[in-house]
Order: sequence, then C-alpha cells, then structure tokens
Amino acid sequence: MSAVGREVSSSAPTAAWRRKLVPYGLLLPGGLWLIIFFVVPMLRLVSVSLQTGIYPRYRFAWAWSNYAELVTNYGGQAVNSLVYAFLATAIAFLIAYPLAYFIAFRGGRWKNFLLVMLLMPFLMPFLLRTLSWKIILADHGLLVDLLKSVHLLGEDGRLLATGVAVVAGIVYNFLAFMTLPIYVSLEKIDRSLVEAANDLYASPAVAFRKVTFPLSRPGVVAGTLLTFIPAVGDYVNAVLLGTPQQFMIGNVIQSRFLVVLDYPVAAALSFTLMIVTVLLIIPYVRAAGTEDLVA
Amino acid sequence: MAAVTDVAGGLPDGGEPPAVQLESVTKRFGDFTAVDEISLDIEENRFFALLGPSGCGKTTTLRMIGGFEETTAGIIRLHGEDVTGRKPYRRMVNTVFQSYALFPHLTIFENVAFGLRRRDVDDAEIKTRVAEMLELVQLGGREKQKPHTLSGGQQQRVALARALINHPRVLLLDEPLGALDLKLRKEMQIELKRIQNEVGITFIHVTHDQEEAMTMADTIAVMHKGRIERMGTATEIYEDPQTGFVAGFLGASNLMQADIVDASTGEVVLAQGRRLRVSPGRLPAGEKQVRLGVRPEKIHLVPVDAEIEGNALEGLVIDASFIGVSTHYLVETGAIAQLAVMAQNLDDRRFAQGDRIKAVWRPEHTFVVT
Repeated sequence: MSAVGREVSSSAPTAAWRRKLVPYGLLLPGGLWLIIFFVVPMLRLVSVSLQTGIYPRYRFAWAWSNYAELVTNYGGQAVNSLVYAFLATAIAFLIAYPLAYFIAFRGGRWKNFLLVMLLMPFLMPFLLRTLSWKIILADHGLLVDLLKSVHLLGEDGRLLATGVAVVAGIVYNFLAFMTLPIYVSLEKIDRSLVEAANDLYASPAVAFRKVTFPLSRPGVVAGTLLTFIPAVGDYVNAVLLGTPQQFMIGNVIQSRFLVVLDYPVAAALSFTLMIVTVLLIIPYVRAAGTEDLVA
Repeated sequence: MAAVTDVAGGLPDGGEPPAVQLESVTKRFGDFTAVDEISLDIEENRFFALLGPSGCGKTTTLRMIGGFEETTAGIIRLHGEDVTGRKPYRRMVNTVFQSYALFPHLTIFENVAFGLRRRDVDDAEIKTRVAEMLELVQLGGREKQKPHTLSGGQQQRVALARALINHPRVLLLDEPLGALDLKLRKEMQIELKRIQNEVGITFIHVTHDQEEAMTMADTIAVMHKGRIERMGTATEIYEDPQTGFVAGFLGASNLMQADIVDASTGEVVLAQGRRLRVSPGRLPAGEKQVRLGVRPEKIHLVPVDAEIEGNALEGLVIDASFIGVSTHYLVETGAIAQLAVMAQNLDDRRFAQGDRIKAVWRPEHTFVVT
C-alpha cells in the first residue's frame, strides 16, 4: 500500500510538468525548422548584404552602399515589379471572384468537378504552361491578328515581349492561388444570410455588397496576398514572355546571384524586396479589417 | 395605391381583406409535391401556427409567403394585394429565420438597423427606433456587440427585433425556438406572445412542437403531406381532431373501430358487442363504420362493480405508473388491447396492476376520426 502511495505522490508533479511541456514539444519541430531554414539564413542574408569586395573574396564592412544600388541602377526593374504585380493581382481578382462565386453558389453537384478543372493546368509543368503563352501571344498568332482587325492593336503592334504579356503570364500562373481562398470563404457563407438580407429589403446587388462580399473578405485578402507576394518576386514570366525592358527585380536578383556572382548587392536587393513587400501588406491587411471576421 | 384597386379580387364579403390569403397554392420539387393546393385565410393580428412533422410542407408554405420559394401554382395575397412572384425584398413581410441568420460581421445595432438603412430612413430616426426595439426585446445596451458574443436566446431576440423594426404587416417565424433549450423555449414562448400583443401584427409561426403551437397560437393549421388536415383553435383541434393523423400528432389518444347502430342517437358498437355513445352530430352521414377516439385524461377508472352513467369498458389494469401530477394506466379491455388512461391524483383511489376495473368517459368526449 505504501509503495502505491509513494508512486502517486511522486508521479503527480511529473504529470503536471509533462502537460506543461507538451505544447512546447509540439512547437519544437516547426520552430527548429523555422530557425534553421528561415531565421539563420535571413541573418546570413543581412550580413552578406553589408559585405564588400570582389568574388570570391567578400568581407563584412557595413557596406550600406549595396542598398543604394536599388535606386541608382535598378529603379526601372523595381517599378516594373510593383506595377506588374499590382496589375496582375487586380486582374486575377477580377477573374477569380466571379469564378469562385459561380462555383460556390451555382456549382451544385458540379462543384468538385469544377474545382478539379481549376487545378488541372497545374498538372502541366510550369515552364510548358508559360511557354504556351508565347504561342497565344505570338506576333502573327490568332489573338494579335484579331486585335489588329478590330483596331485595338496598331498595325505593327505586338503582345509578346511587352508588359501585357508578362502580366498575362503572371495572372495565368497565379489564378488558382487567388480563386481557391475566395472560393473557400464564399462556400462557408450561410445561404440564409443572403435570404435574410433579401428579406430586409436588400436587392440582390445590395445583399452582395453588404453581406456576401464583406463575409468573403478573408478569402479576398488571402488570395490577393498569395498572388501579390510571389508576383512581386517573380522573374520567370518576364524572361519567357518579355524582354530585358520588362525585367523585374527578381530578374536582377537572379542575375546578380547566379550570373555576376555579386552576392552583397543580390542580398541587399532581396532583403529590400522583402521589407517593401511587408510594408505594403501591413496597411492592406489592417484596412481590410479581417480580424473581426476571424473571431 | 394600386393595392386598393387590387383588393376586390381577394374579397369574398367586402370586409377587411385577410392579412394573408393563399388560394390553391401548390409547390412541386420535381415529382415531389411539397405543398398541395393549400387555400387559407389568415386574419389581421392573428398568431397563426403551421404545425406538422418535418416534411409536411409547412416551411415551404412559409417560404412561399416570404417570397423565398416560387409557387408552382396558386395565388398569394397580402392584405388583398397579389404578391405571387414578387421578390422577397419587395414584400412587406419579414422573417425570423430558424438559425437566426444574424449578420456576423455587423454589430447588434447594425443588424437591427439593416432593414431601415435599405429604405433610407435617416440616421436620427434609425437610432431611436433601434433603441426602442432593443428595449422591447430586453437587449438595451448591447448595441455595439457582435452576434457571436450573445447567447442563443439573446440572438433569437435580436433576430426578432431586426424583423419587427420594419413594422412588417406580417411576421414569419420559421421554427424560431428550435435551437433553444427547454427552459429558454418556455420563456420565449411567453415573450413572443407578449410581443405579438404589444405590436399587434400578424405572426405566422412554423413549428413541429404541438405544445408550442397550442401555447402561442390563436389558430393552428395542422399540416400533413402538403395539405392542411385540420384548422382551428387549440381547443377545437384537440377536442375534435377529426382525422387519425391529427389525433395522434396532437397529444395522445385511444382509437377504436366501431359500427354505427343508430346515427340519430349516436349509438355505436365496438368489436365485441360493447355499446358506446357519441354526440350524434359527430357521426358522418351515410357511413356504416367509424373510428372513434378518446383522450387518456378524459377517462376515469372506477371499481368494476360501480354503477356509472356514460361510456364504460370493463378491463384489467396491466400497468400503472405514478408520475407525480398524474398516474398513467394501461388497461386491457376486450375491445381495445391497450387503453391508455391518465388519472389526476386527486384522491387516494389508485389501482394496481391486476385490478379489475371499469374505464368510464362521457359520450361527448368521444370524437370521430376519418
């Protein structure tokens, strides 16, 4: 009997301890992953961005001038990045919202099929998908001829190798990232809320503006971020569908890192890109006011 | 207004048009007929209940009045005005939805103000009316909260306020108390009744809970398979259900098969030659056989040798259970295998299993069902 009593008293505090430790234990794998593959490389990136010298001999020197290069040499590409990403996000939103709305509200038993269709292009390699746009936008392709015949495009106008082509490529490649979150948030909306709005004298358009759209905002925010963030840093679409004129900041970083081997400037550009993106996103998320909806 | 000229069509006798009038309204979903040629007049200021089991068409009927479901055939009039095919946002009715359907992204104030804002009422008036309405449903001071911070009963009252603030001419309630627990449900039943008295508008209330319907409604329509089986006050329907379905759906009843002996005196005979009497007016003309019913609480048990006027069946107590307010007996008689009897515990005379007794009730408590 006394042995049992002792065992109980000695195991009680360890059980309580264990319960306290469990959450940290669960955090450990993810936490380690983040530290090793995000925090450490990020610190390393910052330290490289402040180095100076010639490949392969770089040394740390608080070289802030690396950051100035963005403005002095790569202003054009930076502007391209922001403008293309912004346009692509806006266009993708305009295409994705009605699409998601249709699937969520009118899809009926075709819902799953339509979602699979939406993801179908992703079974194709990214490169092939993007290269196919070369054919669609080609100088004597169907689309260009059509636009010329209705005088939307001048006699010697072209689509390929222009900003239009790059934006089209980005829109196409990120459309699903925009559509799926919006679909999910629309799908969740209780249909009786729309009926309640109609019941309270809201026409379908007003019910959409006052009820459906506000309730789908978390999806809109998620979708636009999932499109905008990778689009700002994208370089593939500019390479395949544009010319150096359309190059984005991603193209500069890519060539600095891998071609010129100018690590400090590449690191400075990367870090700046990240900071600028975060600074753009914070006010957007604040303004969209999704905190209320998560609760 | 156009409504006035339109009225004549819906008026049988030139008085006030009924608040709601259905004329042969039918709704089919594919092959399934959810509502089958219902005709119905609901007078002004009534608390009207559509009662029935799930799938009987009561909710579909309500949704057609609200405009959420199109009619397959028939005409719906609100205060004499034909509104068939009119969109919900153009009907002067408001609905309290089963799940309340409060807008989760809006505050209680904005939820209640929603209808007024759509009709461009000015801000100052909205403010006073919302405050008044929240006072009416006893939720003053909650204006700034979001719906999810309120309890189920409070959310229900917000839903009610949100509908009533528009002064609808008819308020539709779709199982409004279904999600509440028993105690709250009882409270809200009284609350709803009070509010209806106070605002004085027609309430149409859909429920599958017979007790709820009887507690609140002035008029009850019992629906079954897309049709109205019986309509009347709670007392009328309970005391004379007229159909087997209604007798079984509203309370418990003992049903028995009988042959008519003499329709003018109301004399009938049961399977084993037991003679009973029924109010003669209740016997259908030209029938030979009828089904009779009697409610368990209308039957008294007396010792088998007692001399008693009225309908009497001899039998054997096969089960007796004391449940506080009353004692429930099951009695085996020759004519009915198990006669349910509910006796109030007014005196000490209780019977036990195995006692031979006589089950007695008054002829006028016998009803006839088809």
